[in-house]
Parts: sequence; C-alpha cells; structure tokens
Amino acid sequence: MSALTSTSGTAAVRPTNDAGVDAPPSRSADVLVLGLGNAILSDDAIGLRVVRALQQRLEPGDPVVAEESEEMGLALLDSIVGYRELVLVDAIQTGTQAPGYLHEFDGDSLPTRRSGAPHFLGVGDTLALGRLLGLPMPERVTIFAVEVADPFTLGTDLTPAVQEALLPALERVWARLRSFRHADGCLDRSSR
Amino acid sequence: MNSAIQKTFNEGNLRANAAYQAAKRNITIDPITRLEGHGKIDIYLDDKGDVERAYMQVPELRGFEVFSLGRPAEDMPQITSRICGVCPTAHHMAATKTLDDLYQIEPTSAGRKIRELVYNTFVLEDHALHVFVLGGPDFIVGPDAPPAERNIVGVIGKVGLEAGKKVIGTRKRLRELIAYFGGKVVHPVLGLPGGVSKALKPEDLPKFKQLAKDGVEFAEWTNTVFKQIVLGNPDYVKMITSDAYTHKTCYMGMVDDQNQLNFYDGKLRVVDCQGKEVCKFTARQYREFVAEHVEPWSYMKFTFLKQRGWKDFVEGPDTSIYAVGPLARLNASDRLATPKAQAAYEEFYKTLGGKPAHHTLATHWARVIEMIYAAERIEQLINDPEITSPDVRRVPTTVPAEGMGVVEAPRGTLFHHYQTDARGVITMANMIVATGNNAARIAMSVERAAKGLIQGMKDATKIPEGLLNKVEMAFRAYDPCLGCATHTLPGSTPLIVNVYDHQRQLAHRLVQG
Repeated sequence: MSALTSTSGTAAVRPTNDAGVDAPPSRSADVLVLGLGNAILSDDAIGLRVVRALQQRLEPGDPVVAEESEEMGLALLDSIVGYRELVLVDAIQTGTQAPGYLHEFDGDSLPTRRSGAPHFLGVGDTLALGRLLGLPMPERVTIFAVEVADPFTLGTDLTPAVQEALLPALERVWARLRSFRHADGCLDRSSR
Repeated sequence: MNSAIQKTFNEGNLRANAAYQAAKRNITIDPITRLEGHGKIDIYLDDKGDVERAYMQVPELRGFEVFSLGRPAEDMPQITSRICGVCPTAHHMAATKTLDDLYQIEPTSAGRKIRELVYNTFVLEDHALHVFVLGGPDFIVGPDAPPAERNIVGVIGKVGLEAGKKVIGTRKRLRELIAYFGGKVVHPVLGLPGGVSKALKPEDLPKFKQLAKDGVEFAEWTNTVFKQIVLGNPDYVKMITSDAYTHKTCYMGMVDDQNQLNFYDGKLRVVDCQGKEVCKFTARQYREFVAEHVEPWSYMKFTFLKQRGWKDFVEGPDTSIYAVGPLARLNASDRLATPKAQAAYEEFYKTLGGKPAHHTLATHWARVIEMIYAAERIEQLINDPEITSPDVRRVPTTVPAEGMGVVEAPRGTLFHHYQTDARGVITMANMIVATGNNAARIAMSVERAAKGLIQGMKDATKIPEGLLNKVEMAFRAYDPCLGCATHTLPGSTPLIVNVYDHQRQLAHRLVQG
C-alpha cells in the first residue's frame, strides 16, 4: 500500500503527493536515520546520542541523513515523509530485558492501533496515516530500541548499562546501513 | 518463665522471617514491578466480589528542582520547554511569565500580544491533535469499534479523506506560525523577561491573516463534525451523561477581569459544584489557595483547595477537590470573549442541562469549543494594528529574588515558581502541572469506572480485557501526562491492572503496552 509510484531513479526524484497537504520536501538522500528521545531525561536520550555519534561517521556522498528529533507522534510525519528507508533509534522500556539490550523491530510489525493517554501517535499509525494521505512514506522501516533503566529523571547522563550500550548500538545501526544496497555505494567504504 | 518468653520470641521471629522470605520471593520473581514507566491500577475486591477501592499510580518526572539549581533563570523557558515534547509552548510561556515576575517587569504591549497570539495558536493546534488523533477517535469512530479502528486512520474513514487532509494541513500551518516566532515548535525560543525576541514583519502579515481566517473556519467545522457524529448519537450522549463518568467537584480556570476565559493571562477563578465562586487569585497568591496532599499509595501529589482543607476523595458542595482543563475552564468562566465561541458555549450548557457541567467525557466537546475561542482570539490579535510593532521588549533593570507565573496549558492550569540569588541564579524551582491539579479527580474517575464495571466478581480471572478500555476512557479525557518519556514505542498506553481478592492476594493481572 505504499504511496510511492516510482521506486527507481535517484533519491532526489520523488513523486508529487496528491494529498494537497503540501508539497513534500525533496530529499537529498534515500535513508533517514532518526534518533528519538528527550535530551535531558537521562536514558531517554540514548537514541539522540547514537545518532549524534553516527553523524560523525557519515561523509558527504553517503545516501544517509542522520537527524535527532525530540518530537513525537504526528510531528514525526514531517520528518520522515519523502525518504525511502527509515531507521529509528529510540529508547524503550519493556522490562523483559536488562538495560542496555538492543531490540530490533521491523516497521511492519508495529501495531497500527489507537494510541492511548500519552499524547502521541505510534510510529505504525504515523506511517499508515501518511500513506492514507498519499504522501511518499518510507517503504521500509527498521527500529532499533535500547532497553533503558531510567527515562524519568531530569539529567544529561546515561545510566552505566545504557552508556555501555551506545557504541554497540551505533555499530548495529552502521552494519544495517551498510547492508542497504545503494547504486553509488558510498556507505560501503569502511571495513568497520 | 524465661523459657516461655524465649519460646514466644522464637515463634514470632520465625513468623517474621517466613513473612519476609515470602514477600521477598514475590517481589524478586516479578519482572513487571521493574516497569516504572507503566501506569498502574490496583483494584481491591471485597468478599462479595465488588470493588472496595481502586488506586491509580502514574510515573512521574523526577529531579526538576535539582536539575534547575545553579542555572541562570533566563534559561528556564528553554529548560522547561525541553521537559516535555507535548506541551513545550505551555512550559515556555509559564516560565517566561515567571521571569516577568522575577524581574518585576511588564512586557511591552506588542510583546504581550505576540505572546498571546503564539500561545493561542499552540492551544488550537494541540486541541486539534487531541480531538482528531488522541481522545476523539473513541467518539468519532465509536467506543465499541475494534481498537484497531479507533485511531486517526479510522477517523479519516469516518469523516472522509478530504477532511483528514484539512486536519493535517491546518495543523501544519499553525505549527509554522509558532516556528516563525519561536524557531522550533518543540523548543521555542521566544519569551524573554519583558517581552519577546522577535517582532512580526508587516510583509509576513497577510499569510497569517489568512491562516487566522482559515483557523476559525476549521474550528467551527470541527464543532459541526463533533455535533453530528457524537451528539447525533443517543448512545454516546447517554454514555457522556452517565453516572460512571460524572463527578461533582470544584473547577479552576483562568479568567480576565470580566470572568471571561483567557489561556494566557488573568486571575485563577475557582467555582464550586453549584457554579458559585469559591475564590479568585493571582499567580503570586497561589500558595495561599492551593496545597498538596500525599497518599501512601502514590508518589503523585494531589492538589486541593487549601482554604477548605483536605477532605479525602469526596465530591459535593464542600469538596476541596478541583479539576482543571477544558471542561473546568468553561465551568469557571462566566462567558467567552469571542462571539462564535460564546454561541457554542451557550449551546454546550443548554444541551448538557445547565452549568456547571460535571460530565468528564464532555471535556472532549469543551475542547472543541476552546478551539473556536482560540481561533477567534488569533484572528483578533493578528488584525490588531499593534501586532507588527517593533517595540517587543523592555529590558529589566531590577535585582531578582522570586517569581511566580501561570498559564492555562491545553490540559489545565500550569504554575511555575522560582527563587534566585541576586545574580538571577536559580536557588529554588517548583512547578505544578495540569495532571497534578487533576490528580485527585482522575483517581476518583478511575475508581468510579472500576466500581461500575466490576460487580459480584467472585473469580477475578473472569474480568474481561475490556476493563482496560473503559478505565482508560475515564482518564483519557483528562489527557494526563504519564511521564513524558519513552513514548514512541510501542504506541499504546503502558498500563498494568492488578486485581486483588478480599484476602489481598493478587488474583488477576492485565498488562497493556
């Protein structure tokens, strides 16, 4: 049900959306890595920190844009529209794994159901909504989520287990990016 | 004699050890107890299987004061707006007003108008989000619809794709206005003590005038949709007005000098459950009128009307419990200051059988009426000749000591309070957020919903999953902040319901999220 009518060509070429919402921004890259979280809520910042580290590693010509966002829900629609691939890096608290564990989800497995009292829309809903509106939404979504210990205390430090998970998480995201096959192959330069 | 004492002591000691071991075992094997990010509802049944008590605990942010200590007061509008990705503008504006008070400086007239313009834009945008995306789907799609359809996609299915585009498009344009002044929506950089950092350029005025006009039309259209779909359905009306979702408490809201609702500035007015004014006070006086009560079962602080004293979770004419938010604001005002909103306001009370209205679920309709007011207020302000004045800031010259500020956040009254040293470095910081102001009434709503649903339930495992939905509806109307973190995944309210039998043994547990 993707709204993309054309999947060939370079990243800059995007079909016009018929939503009339407004014109989607033209993207200079295929892939968006979006780090989510709150920078001053301890472990909640882990997604932002991973993406910040990733930005240091990217070079001009890589078909990847890495961005931090402290927004959520519907507001994310504006960030992700127009990209073909989306990689989210976020914090999660499931209680089923020790802090620092890196969960990986496929975007299709996300429930598209009504979100509850927290004032936001789930990622699954946001994607479904964008497609319904005829916006060019990512065809593939991968989510990396670090199990966190404390996302409720105001502060800029990560707890030790989550701090230790930063680099391994970055490597997993990096490995994932390298697995994407891009014509120009910029990303595959490294043997890291 | 000695041996008898020894024997008794030993027996007691053994019992204590056994109890300790049992308790320890129960706690350590349970991974769910580590999930502090979940809202938790504990329901205690009596021997007849009826609900004796129900308690709700919500996760809360910690460490606000510690984080603020030692920072320059001017940083507070930025710091507090970063706390929460949902209501950044509300915290930003409350902090900015607190700085005005701290430095004893009145913003310039144009600065004040720009603040109010941006603030009403934020309220309109945030309310629209709630109506169409968060709370509204229960009504627009229907409370009995499958959960998979009760979302924005289901709403669009019901109101049509064109309408859906209108919702998303209007919201985006409103956010652009906020970003024009504040840089970014999520972390606005606008408010300064004595005014704002940016003026409105005359050449940018036309597009915002058009947006204001479209905003009014959008808000009125929303009211029409709501009336058709919700009020046109007798079952919904019956549910809204049912006892299960009704509480007779006091109501707090900010009003101007004619007792008309104002989101940005004014005095706080409290009315009782008969609509009679109980008190009216400024931000500076808040500690004389609002106090916080602590319960052993929650780390939430329950605010109450200080002059009436804490009287437990009771309702009626003498209660000290008050609500904040859209319904409370309409109840606490005598009228609305703009014509279209006033007409909708009158229809609201006529339909619901008089004022004040005590039906928690009517909050959804009240929110729509506030959208009309916010949109009309935006139009008034954008058409004010002074709005493009470059005189947007007055520079403070006094030595700071203490400041208090208040705004009506979309979810209700928000207080900020700081003390500083003579250099303006924070030595004390406190805030009371809307969810804190509503905490006592939310607790009552949850208990009422549980009592209404669970009756004569001898076998707790037979309690249906639907309990979660109905209890959720009771508190979703308040749109409470459940700790603004780890929100993106998995996309549902993280909630645990524990049901205990009359022997206080855990009999059943439902987990969501």
